[in-house]
Order: sequence, then C-alpha cells, then structure tokens
Amino acid sequence: MFEIGYGEDGVIALSGRFDAAQCDKAQGFIDAAGVPHVFDFRGLEYISSAGLGVLLKAHKRLLASGARLRLINVNNHIYDIFRFSGFDKVFDVAR
Amino acid sequence: MTEKPAHSAPGSVTPEPLHQRRTFARSIASLDEIFAFVRALLDARGVGEADAYAIVMTIEELFTNMVKYNAAGSGRIGLEIECGSDAVVCRLTDHDSERFDVTRAPDVDIHQPVEQRRPGGLGIHLVRRMVDALDYDYSGRRSRISFRRTLTGTAAGKENASVGSASGGSDKPGLT
Repeated sequence: MFEIGYGEDGVIALSGRFDAAQCDKAQGFIDAAGVPHVFDFRGLEYISSAGLGVLLKAHKRLLASGARLRLINVNNHIYDIFRFSGFDKVFDVAR
Repeated sequence: MTEKPAHSAPGSVTPEPLHQRRTFARSIASLDEIFAFVRALLDARGVGEADAYAIVMTIEELFTNMVKYNAAGSGRIGLEIECGSDAVVCRLTDHDSERFDVTRAPDVDIHQPVEQRRPGGLGIHLVRRMVDALDYDYSGRRSRISFRRTLTGTAAGKENASVGSASGGSDKPGLT
C-alpha cells in the first residue's frame, strides 16, 4: 500500500509502492502541502514513471523560487530508476 | 522471500519453469492485483529483489500504456509469465487494439534542460534499460508485447544488484 504524509520531523514521507494507481493520491497531498521541497523515501519500496512525473511537477514548481526538490533515504533500486531517467541530475537525491 | 541457490549442486534437478497466465480488467485499478500475481510467482522461484523490481515495473509500464492508449478496447488484458531458472519471459496481450509498436517509440532525451522535461515517454525509456529483449507482434487486432529479463541471481551477495539489465538493455531506436 502507498502512503504519503508528514513524518515526525515535518518532512513529507512516502512509503510502500508509488505506482500509476497512486498518483492522484500523491498529487492531491502535494498540492495541499503548498510547495514542499523535501521528501523522505525511507519507507518507499518502489516508484515507476508515473511517480516520477508527480515528482517532476513538484520540482518545476520549486524552480520559480530557485529551490530544488530534495529526496532523502532513497533505496538502491529507486536510485537506479533516477539514474536511468536522468533525474539524479535534476533532483537532489541522497541515499 | 525464499532465496534461490546461486549454483545448483551436482546431481540436482533444475526446477521446471513456472508458467502462469491470467487476465486483468482494463483499468489502472488492476495494478494491485497484477503486482500480487507477479510477486507470488517471482517469490516462488526465489527471484531477487533487483530482478523483481525490473520485471514488476516493466509490466506496470506496458500495462498502463495499454490501458491509457486503448481505454475503449473491449475485453481484458492478458498477462503470461514464464519464470525459468535464468530468465523471466512475460507477454501482455490486448485482443482488441489498433497497432502501436512500443518498441519503435523514441527514447527520451534525459539531458534536456529540466524546463523542457516532460513526464511522458519515460516508461518505455526505462523499460528498455531493464530488459534484455522487447518485442511487439500485431495480428488481427491482437497486440502482444513480450519481454525477457535475464536474472542477475538471488544469492545474498547480489543484494546490491542493479535494476538495470545486465546486458545493457534491449535495442533502442535513435532519437527522432
């Protein structure tokens, strides 16, 4: 199951599987959160291209303020996906 | 998840391939069911996490493309998985479809400035990097996409295996 919410430190935390069926849920939460710039991937097992699209949209919103989307605690498999998509050079990705 | 031995002991018998097929409703809401079906089969074979990730994601990308670009098609979408000791072969079949050869879709230019990056098209781009072969067949409104992923192994030492294909990926057309 996919979950998105605020962690103990106030950072947006994702967990489970971020697939195409979860994009509306994720987008709704992010839209309501204003312009978030840090996402904690500690509990996230999986992301597909649909999830990448949601992150790209969030990142583009940040560009206007000169900021960059930061993703922390990214697992190795998800990091591979960022590498193959070139998004490791777009987002600030920390493993 | 049961780990598969990295090497078979002398005299051991190679397990028969696991082969299953099912159909799924033409809807993104089918993804949970698809994931459960695929993971059960891969876990039964002891497929490692990197391979499982690549296979599951490839199926998702291809299935969602079928749903998105042929939502008006009738009938369910078939998924067939053959899980051997060294490779997994999957086939997705839509029996009521116009021709759309995903193998000819152009790669995404991942070096574009971010302002020009669009979310679309990434699915097939990523699939090409996770599978060793990607084929398309069309006949009498039946559209079939097949892919093959060589397994990178499931021993504990392969925990850091990449999601990417060990062979470097399937053939990809040039950028348009």
